[in-house]
Amino acid sequence: MTSPVKPLVVDNLSFRYRDRQGAAIHNISFEAKPGEILLIAGASGCGKTTMIRAINGLIPRSYKGEMGGQILVFGEEVKNWKLSQISQKIGTVLQDPERQILGTKVLNEIAFGLENLAMPRDEIFTRVDEALNFLKISHLRDRETFNLSGGEKQKVALAGVLAMRPSILLLDEPLASLDPASAQDTLDAVRALANQGMTILLVEHRVEDVLRIHPERVMFMSEGEIRYLGDVQGLSKVVNYREVKLPEEQIVTRAKREPAPVQIKILPGVTNSQSEKAALVKFQDVAFGYDAEREVLHGINLEINRGDVIAVLGPNGAGKTTFVKHAIGLLKPKSGNVFVNGRDTREASVAEIAGMLGYVFQSPSHMLFAPTVREELAFGPTNLRHPKEQIEQEVKEALKIVNLSDNENDPPLALSFGQQKRVSIAAILAMRSKILVMDEPTAGQDYQNYMNFMDSILQMPVFEAILFITHDVDLAVIYANRVLMVNDGRLVADGTPQDVLRDFDRLKANRLVPTSLLALNLKRLSATGRFMRAEALAHV
Amino acid sequence: MLVAWRYRKRKNSFIQSFDPRAWIIFYACFLFATLSFWDVRFLLPFFVIAIFTLITSGVKWHEMRRAFLFIVGFVFFFAFLTFLTGRGGSEVYKEEHLIWEFKGSFSILSWTPVLKVTVERAFFAISQLVRVTSIAVMTILIPYSLNPALYGITFKGIGLPDKFAYAMDLTMRFIPTFGRDFQLTMDAQRARGYELDKISGGLIQQVRKLGPVIVPVTIHAIIGSEDIIDAMDLRAFGVGARTWTDVLAYQFRDRLLIAFGVVILLVSIVVGFMGYGAFWVPEVLAKIFS
Repeated sequence: MTSPVKPLVVDNLSFRYRDRQGAAIHNISFEAKPGEILLIAGASGCGKTTMIRAINGLIPRSYKGEMGGQILVFGEEVKNWKLSQISQKIGTVLQDPERQILGTKVLNEIAFGLENLAMPRDEIFTRVDEALNFLKISHLRDRETFNLSGGEKQKVALAGVLAMRPSILLLDEPLASLDPASAQDTLDAVRALANQGMTILLVEHRVEDVLRIHPERVMFMSEGEIRYLGDVQGLSKVVNYREVKLPEEQIVTRAKREPAPVQIKILPGVTNSQSEKAALVKFQDVAFGYDAEREVLHGINLEINRGDVIAVLGPNGAGKTTFVKHAIGLLKPKSGNVFVNGRDTREASVAEIAGMLGYVFQSPSHMLFAPTVREELAFGPTNLRHPKEQIEQEVKEALKIVNLSDNENDPPLALSFGQQKRVSIAAILAMRSKILVMDEPTAGQDYQNYMNFMDSILQMPVFEAILFITHDVDLAVIYANRVLMVNDGRLVADGTPQDVLRDFDRLKANRLVPTSLLALNLKRLSATGRFMRAEALAHV
Repeated sequence: MLVAWRYRKRKNSFIQSFDPRAWIIFYACFLFATLSFWDVRFLLPFFVIAIFTLITSGVKWHEMRRAFLFIVGFVFFFAFLTFLTGRGGSEVYKEEHLIWEFKGSFSILSWTPVLKVTVERAFFAISQLVRVTSIAVMTILIPYSLNPALYGITFKGIGLPDKFAYAMDLTMRFIPTFGRDFQLTMDAQRARGYELDKISGGLIQQVRKLGPVIVPVTIHAIIGSEDIIDAMDLRAFGVGARTWTDVLAYQFRDRLLIAFGVVILLVSIVVGFMGYGAFWVPEVLAKIFS
């Protein structure tokens, strides 16, 4: 009896980009079975995306370079296939649905690939409806794509690929911009597809989230090679738990064998003197709407005080960013007042507030422009009209704090993503801002990088308060001493992480999903008295 | 949001009662026909058509107020500037009949300011105003009235190749994304004390000072375009002739509109060849001020 033909066989695959030295991937060999979910994990730059591009045919067709080895799809080598042939067998969902969605309307978007294959209209409509029904998003059929939420966009992008009825599905970090509940919905859909026989390769940093849908196998990549390929249980034995976010019970078991971690000192520069008790930022009955018809923030009241490390949680589109933009005066309230250091933001320019409160946007590429890191950092203080000598001093200090002194003459845009993030923080430090506000500080970074990044930010001596928007409940558990939960433009919870996050019904209502770290912390709270990271819990 | 589509389906809208292809063809005929005249008497029927279209478009004043005031204000400003300086009109008239002259009682570096109001300058400003306002009004109404989801099939339907027609669709799709990226960059730089409205200096210096906005927006667009190209390639774009799921069908009234547009254009061309429609001032005024 002959064995059934494997959907995907990758044999000794290697690739080097034309304009780069050294292979991006090498010695990559594996097979994938029908109905299997293969989770692919690894640090940024380990070669995951290059491997995906080689399998879906973009390499070598769109990305030129030296390629070795072979890829067989249902027993046939795809080297000489046209991209249109490959796309009918292998579907790909990219990381950012905003850039992948090409249609103005949902219907046009899902039909796009089928239109390009010149299918009859009736067949196109049948397949579009089939994909919409499968993902339970038929109600979106006639909506405009630009106005969809992040989760809806991801599902529409997936529907556009499913409509082409591929046998193999490649997903490149599909959860990156989703709130936990939307991520779970997407993963449930992925599991359902695998159960119907589709072969799925899922690249994802959020390993713990993916483990909930029980992937059949896990691949761990490092420096362009496969370091582990096998069942889920074996992963924790071979990888460093600081590199991949594993379930907390597994980390605790491993960390018990190691010395207790050194506790980091959060906001070491904050003192408790009486004269500094006044609120740094105060929201008083703040309401706001982008137009007269619809209000998006309603009656926000709160104070940000010295020593606060605040995590702002809430679903996509809840008003979190609108809320924090009021703190720096980028938006002015329609009614109510926002005071920064006692001054009404209506009476101060953004530039004036920036000296007190620094805002780091999600993507550094939205702000970096200067030819050198030094000039980038001098931009803010120059705008604030600091004296020249003072600016030089501020830039030097900021570079030292973020550990980029050796890069002061490098172009910021040529640095790695992690370094660019640090430049964006240093740009705020150079303005001598006392309050740091960050929008999704961990987005686009792998686990190890973002934990190191957060550790170093929280230990910087210059900040008096930090506020960050995040979808990652564990970041709130590990770093915050206060949690704000925003939903539908309202502040629905404000308290310590222990108080706010213990209520699982409230988490669910705000599209958050309890993590294993949260559950473990709650279980041991009577012994610990506060939340802590898993390595620390191992020694309690 | 910096850019948001103003299109919506409107009740009893005259423009929206036509197939978008028919309207685009009519618009093109209207545009070229209007541009072939400087005589305000010949331009007035086009102005009437534009105002009729505006009134029957169903677009509410509050929706278009900002765009309308900006563009019409811009047209007024330039017409007034031409009127004051006399530049621009000198190409279409040879002699001028003075109505009133203002001579400054002071000199700057031995130059004395002189303002001449002539019959020709006044009528050139009026003609320019009527001509450009007619075109501007018809142009402003397009994004409010034509469904952006149908731009691709509209241009395909008037004979453009698939790739070009889809490029129109894609442009419409990504303009709001580009607008959002621009706004994010503006906010990010304002949060670093950058104030666009306080930019000063010469033209080159001002452009240089726009770098903090232009560079990130451009870099972001380039990075984003790589994903867009990948997404198109991965779904077989450009491999051959494609199906368009949206279908447009001409009705009788659409054919009538196209015919009307073509007639206007042909008549305008013929009238122009016959020597009519060039710049005109009433003879009686020329006589009075000669």
